[in-house]
Amino acid sequence: MLTYIIHKLFLSIPILLGIVAITFVLFCVIAPDPARAYGGKFKSEAQMQALRVKLGTNVPRWQQFVNILTFRFPPSMRYNESVWVLFARKAPVSLAIQLPAFFIELGLQLAIALFVAVRRGSALDYGITFLAVLGMSVPALSLYIAFQWIFGGWLQWFPVAGWSPGFFYALHFAVLPIIATVLINLGGGARFYRTVTLEEINSDYVRTARAKGVPPREVLFTHVLGNVLIPVVTNTVVALPLLFTGALILEQLFQIPGFGNLLVEAIHTQDQPIVMAIVYITSIIYLLMLIVTDILYTVVDPRVTLK
Amino acid sequence: MTTAGENSVTPVGLGDRLEVVPPPDLPRGNEREGWRRLISQPLPLICLLIVAAYVVTGVLSFFPFFERHINEPLGAQKTFAPPALHQTWQDGTVTIAPSRWLGLDFQGRSVLWRVLYGCRIALTITVCASVIAISIGVVLGLLAGYFGGWIDDLIIWLYSTVSSVPWLLLVIAMAYVIQNAQSIHAAEAPTGWRAFFGETPTVIFALGFTDWVGLCRLLRGEVLKLRDQDFVIAARAMGLNNGRIMLRHILPNTFHIVIITFSINAVSYVQVEVVLAFLGLGITSKPSWGRMIDDSKLEMLRGIWWELAAATFAIFVLCLALNLLGDALRDALDPRLRGTK
Repeated sequence: MLTYIIHKLFLSIPILLGIVAITFVLFCVIAPDPARAYGGKFKSEAQMQALRVKLGTNVPRWQQFVNILTFRFPPSMRYNESVWVLFARKAPVSLAIQLPAFFIELGLQLAIALFVAVRRGSALDYGITFLAVLGMSVPALSLYIAFQWIFGGWLQWFPVAGWSPGFFYALHFAVLPIIATVLINLGGGARFYRTVTLEEINSDYVRTARAKGVPPREVLFTHVLGNVLIPVVTNTVVALPLLFTGALILEQLFQIPGFGNLLVEAIHTQDQPIVMAIVYITSIIYLLMLIVTDILYTVVDPRVTLK
Repeated sequence: MTTAGENSVTPVGLGDRLEVVPPPDLPRGNEREGWRRLISQPLPLICLLIVAAYVVTGVLSFFPFFERHINEPLGAQKTFAPPALHQTWQDGTVTIAPSRWLGLDFQGRSVLWRVLYGCRIALTITVCASVIAISIGVVLGLLAGYFGGWIDDLIIWLYSTVSSVPWLLLVIAMAYVIQNAQSIHAAEAPTGWRAFFGETPTVIFALGFTDWVGLCRLLRGEVLKLRDQDFVIAARAMGLNNGRIMLRHILPNTFHIVIITFSINAVSYVQVEVVLAFLGLGITSKPSWGRMIDDSKLEMLRGIWWELAAATFAIFVLCLALNLLGDALRDALDPRLRGTK
């Protein structure tokens, strides 16, 4: 196992360098002068130079490349703080919304998928699958705005937007965003897992289990679900870095001071170090998560051994 | 390979005549069959017609009279009005006013015309971004699958790297960077083609240059399979060069993958345009659907729901049709792809 992980880590080095290269090309080559973008047109040359020093763009290109590679990001322009301090402050808020939303979502998706898959071809199956496609076709932004308006403004069940530390205050503000997130992501996942479940239900081992008299419920929940978990693991682990990032639109719209909000504000205020750091770090976490996926496969699927 | 009579003496190796014989059991024939099956069912046919209607509207809105309608406020007050069938003029006459059917937005501009104009932007973005993404994906996929070896390794490295950056984040980063680069260079108001296209190229490049990964991966796998089929070996035995084998013999057999990918990607392009508009990285000078939805978040405070409703409905119907069409295409042309996302 350990040798496998080390081997995998070594194999990821070229991809890691690739990610550094992408970040570098985007933020240090294509974006010619972030100081100018931040400072505007009316700064004097001395002020510009000060900005460049702060942004770390006054050093040669190869130095900038190495800085990215070694996680040395310039401080945020807007907050004047290290990006790491900002991340540590913002990430828990994002997770407070995203984690519950993700697990509710996953549970519902699997429940719907199993429910529909055993009724394949029935009117209920078509109806729910169609609803899932309907859900996939709604733009998230519209749904959020409509939710704010209906549940926040009109019915006044939930606050329209806002955030407050402390568990119960946070819960008060978090319910509506969580419901909205779950709803917007429900359809796609449910439909995907339905396809996966259908494949499993039609396979030989299910027929064998039925033939030897295993009750249908048990077939579904132990045999089929056990196998459906494999793509679930893939999707979950791959989705995790995106949970940190939070839903960009959601957090900005509901005024949740999380990671996504940080990114949106950074884009609006030309705070390039933050945009760069988020893109880079999220990609690195994603890369690590791919290795975690492989390890988790051995847990979910006893047939898989890592060598 | 040859028919009866005098043709039977045609020597093998005359190349051109012989190479066009289609491979016996591969998608060529099935594809035509698939299309026929597709449009014989009601649902895919309806979806196809809906998409066609959007395309036609998009093309029509390239005509100049559209430009006049989208920015010109109706009425002297420059204020919003709810959807209405008729318009009452100052002298008391009532006329049917299509411009007011979907109401007026907060600046008194016709929502109907703006939604229709949105088709043009959606069409431009989808087509141009797809052309970029498909060209890159097809070329790299073909090269990787056909040649193998170090070319394959290099291309696998390339797409693994690009796919390690979460797609939405990459699109946003790309749009952000391009927009910054443009704003620095363009000191004065844009002219010529820049003025004509507005910010559309930013969105197109951001989408097109990031979204070739999935297609490239699928194509590489398919080409790997086709590469050792008899018809390719036969073509090679006849002495055709690699380029010709790839373009004339392998590429046509992978077309269904391209079509399916296109229909599925179009949905995400339209949806991501909304996100970009929200972030201020999208199209701000022209009424795209994303721009309209973004505008409506302030309008909702004054109870103007019709712009949100209209733009959402336009996206919703298009995406629904494309989603269903994509599924139908996949089932008809290549059922094996069903498990992939």
